[in-house]
Amino acid sequence: MAPPTSNGAFRRGFWALAPLWLGVVPFGLAYAITARSAGLSLLETQALSALVFAGSAQFSAVGLFAAGAGGAEIVLTTLLLNIRHALYGVSLGRRFRLTRRERPVAAFFLTDEAFGVAAAARESSFPFLLGVELSLFMMWNLATLAGFLLGAAIPDPTQLGVDLIFPLAFLALLVPLIRTRTELAVAVASGALAFGLDRALPGGLPILVTGVGGSLLGAYLTRDTPPDRTIHPDDAAREVA
Amino acid sequence: MSFWLTVAGMVAVTFGSRYAGLVRRSDLPDFWARFLHFVPIAVFASLVTPYLGGGLGEGEIRTVAAAVAAFAAWRTRQLWVAIAVGMAVFWLLRIPF
Repeated sequence: MAPPTSNGAFRRGFWALAPLWLGVVPFGLAYAITARSAGLSLLETQALSALVFAGSAQFSAVGLFAAGAGGAEIVLTTLLLNIRHALYGVSLGRRFRLTRRERPVAAFFLTDEAFGVAAAARESSFPFLLGVELSLFMMWNLATLAGFLLGAAIPDPTQLGVDLIFPLAFLALLVPLIRTRTELAVAVASGALAFGLDRALPGGLPILVTGVGGSLLGAYLTRDTPPDRTIHPDDAAREVA
Repeated sequence: MSFWLTVAGMVAVTFGSRYAGLVRRSDLPDFWARFLHFVPIAVFASLVTPYLGGGLGEGEIRTVAAAVAAFAAWRTRQLWVAIAVGMAVFWLLRIPF
């Protein structure tokens, strides 16, 4: 079989993330409307989506701007919310063989959703990863622009309940990863921990704490078995996206 | 601190977090290799439970919809199908009887 072209891999990555667009658009619209009401200009609102490209951090930043918070406070909150991306990078870096030049590009566009789709997919080339990442980047920035321009004319999209797509997507990505009793235990414990922490900690912090805590639990529970060097074995069971 | 200086700081810490993980090379001790195996499981689970309830007091029907979606994901292993089934169940249950 001939190796797939990089153009084809990019396109497959781009469409692999497309199921998540429906969840991203309302979130992007809501962010832009919030930013606008916080007094940000179109350029400022769009710059956060294009340069920071991190939904929950952008949301808290505009909230902090509106509350008159200092820059240091906003940057620190952003760090707390986004440091979990380091875990995604380590995980992806072991599967995707990236060159020195590809790494900063892949890192710049890395998000929760892109990690989810890329980690669960069977392909592991840079064009595929870039396709996944830019698919979300494009939709997030279009939704930001549309949200700012349409402004108050849009009815509250959360009334439709489309925010449910976000947890449903991660549930659908999680299910095929669970094949052993230990994996089930880690998933249940992590879900419970995140649910509890979410009431006590801001935004992305529960995800970070749970990501580290749940993975430590799993590593501890499997201490007598040899490590699974391939994070996601190349089998159909894990190919969900 | 001006708006754009704040944005520069946000970009630095966000890109820094994303890049720091990617440049880490692969020869890790066994414990950390096993740790990484569980990262997607722990993270995905933590992206489900806090967001399941929503802010409109519809936690029960949303949980039912998620359970059906999980079953669909298990049977079909298709992201599209699981989301479509989950949302269909949710919207059906939302109709006031």
